[in-house]
Amino acid sequence: MRKSRLVLAPAVLLSAAALVLSGCAAEEATTTETSAATSTDSGDAAAETFDVYALLPQGTDQAYGTTYLPEMEAVAAELGVNLTITNSQYDADKQASECEIAVAAKPDGIILWPAVGDAVRPCLEAAAAAGIPVTVTNSDLFDADKALSAGFSGPDTYGQGVASAEIMCEIVGGAEISIIQLNGSIGNSTAIDRDNGFTDTVAANCPNVTILDEQNTDWTKATAQQVASEMITAQGLENIDGIYAADDSIAAGAIAALEARGVDAADYFITGIGNTFMGNPLVAEGKLDGTVFQSSSWDGGNAVRLIHSVLTGAVSGDRELLLMPSVKVTAANATDADVAPEW
Amino acid sequence: MTNQTVIKVGTGATGFWGKLKVALARRTEGRGVALFIVIASFVTVSQPLVFTAYQVTLGRIALIGLVALGLTAVILMGELDLSVASTLAVSGVIMTTVANQTNIAIGILAALAASVVISLVNAYFVAIVGLNSFIATLGMLFALRGLALVLSDEQPVKLENTDFGIAFGQPLVGPLTPRILIFFAVFIAIQVFVSRVKAGREFLAVGGNRQAAYDAGIPVKRRIFTGFIISGGVAALAGVVNSLERTAADPTAGSTVLLASFAAAIIGGNYLKGGKGSIVGTLIGAASLGMLQVALTISGVQVPVQEIFIGGVLLLAVLTDPSSLRAVWGSISTTFQGIKNSLAK
Repeated sequence: MRKSRLVLAPAVLLSAAALVLSGCAAEEATTTETSAATSTDSGDAAAETFDVYALLPQGTDQAYGTTYLPEMEAVAAELGVNLTITNSQYDADKQASECEIAVAAKPDGIILWPAVGDAVRPCLEAAAAAGIPVTVTNSDLFDADKALSAGFSGPDTYGQGVASAEIMCEIVGGAEISIIQLNGSIGNSTAIDRDNGFTDTVAANCPNVTILDEQNTDWTKATAQQVASEMITAQGLENIDGIYAADDSIAAGAIAALEARGVDAADYFITGIGNTFMGNPLVAEGKLDGTVFQSSSWDGGNAVRLIHSVLTGAVSGDRELLLMPSVKVTAANATDADVAPEW
Repeated sequence: MTNQTVIKVGTGATGFWGKLKVALARRTEGRGVALFIVIASFVTVSQPLVFTAYQVTLGRIALIGLVALGLTAVILMGELDLSVASTLAVSGVIMTTVANQTNIAIGILAALAASVVISLVNAYFVAIVGLNSFIATLGMLFALRGLALVLSDEQPVKLENTDFGIAFGQPLVGPLTPRILIFFAVFIAIQVFVSRVKAGREFLAVGGNRQAAYDAGIPVKRRIFTGFIISGGVAALAGVVNSLERTAADPTAGSTVLLASFAAAIIGGNYLKGGKGSIVGTLIGAASLGMLQVALTISGVQVPVQEIFIGGVLLLAVLTDPSSLRAVWGSISTTFQGIKNSLAK
């Protein structure tokens, strides 16, 4: 009796699970059908719809993604683009697998946000072989791979580094100072571009600014605080006059590391990028001398607009570029409505 | 006169059905198979593309399963190897770096050789020093992660022979890519070793009762070394395959591999305490997990929801273990009995 109960229990559990899962699937299918019917009823009957895979390395699990995705989905609904969104969590192998799935599903187009810039070549080749156009969002490809994509929309990541350096050069003036540099994650093309934009501009416009050391972070405040703290220890607080952070979360971490040493961050030259909910108040308080506005909603929306333009033939020929303007944000304009933070 | 007690062994094991019943009772994959059927049914209804594009699904199963197969070798002995994710990353970096300076064959050999050294260190701490394998391999996990970053100068290492990498990712036999073929080759090799070779069969004895294994004359320490070499070697092979397919080695690779590998092994009915489990079970677990992941990806389900599904499957796999069910049933019975008694008073 007891034995049969033990055998029966897993069977009942599994059957229940199967029923629940099948029910979910059926419900999902019904919902999809309903929404498709609604869109056909309410929309223009002649409007063409497209199936597009968006291969992203983040989603609602990150601050940027939480405002990037809603706008992306809103623009997709408006333009008749049926999006399937994936999130590889910055794992190149996972994104490559998702790309294989996308190519097998034969969508009309693919929007790619590279998890690791160096590792997307096989994905691009597979999409090209299958005749699926690819556009890139947020972080552009390396030069050797650009010919395999139809366009890029997103921030001018090199330009953002330039803008952050220009703020630094302006506030420093002619003073001889030394700074430490905190970059984004390893191998990320945004991190590399911003790094190059910043260092090139500093070398050209204000060689009086010496970069003592640079380290990578994972874009988070917590890691940045730890890395900054270690760099301050290694270089000596007395030798550091400022900090360049590749992102406002990183800047917030660096400021926290300075304050943990009992010093006022306002006494240091600090610049970031992003104008985020974390960075904007720091600019207003005077702890962060300047940042560069990046709109996540602009980014998400234009990713869909670009692939739609490619699929409708509105753009053809040369690789299309939709670059977000790099607006500088300092204490003078930090509270303006047109640079209100989004993420 | 000596009293002799006759113990009848396997009285029900007569005839075909009796033998089949006994054989099935010995297996640990039952729950894995049941879950596989449930998931396959769900996927068939919701996302048939998982089956029509089976080469893609097989690719995902191989991605999760390759590391899990090696990991099972140590799990059978009741040990853990948390360093597999970092071994994957560091071996990819070594292979690519050496290949760029010499050729790909030497690069692969260098990566595999490095994995043997890593495995020997892990096994030394576990078998000779007597450290808990969780702690020893956790230390190795961090050390290798740092080593991968140092060796790569904190940048992905691009494979110079990009054409080879692109070709490596293409189907070799029918729709099967080298990754899938390597996965099945590794499965067959480890399965044969664990089920047909004396040393491999002793893994279960080592995991089941270590003292009894010592007493029976099984060279336990040597088996632990062998298990870690298999685990590390297969992880390194996965790193090599990943780096070749992506045409670059990412020093931060493997972030999602570790938990997925353990999940595949557990879903397949392997006991983390050792002594029970099988390589076939891990294959079934990896297949279940891979199919589910592909289906959820095609559905556009966001990662947090995917994790709820995968966590649910994992819990179901653990909860449907007879001993867990007995415990749950016992707990419920006791609670109800307690309530009944209180009401009676």
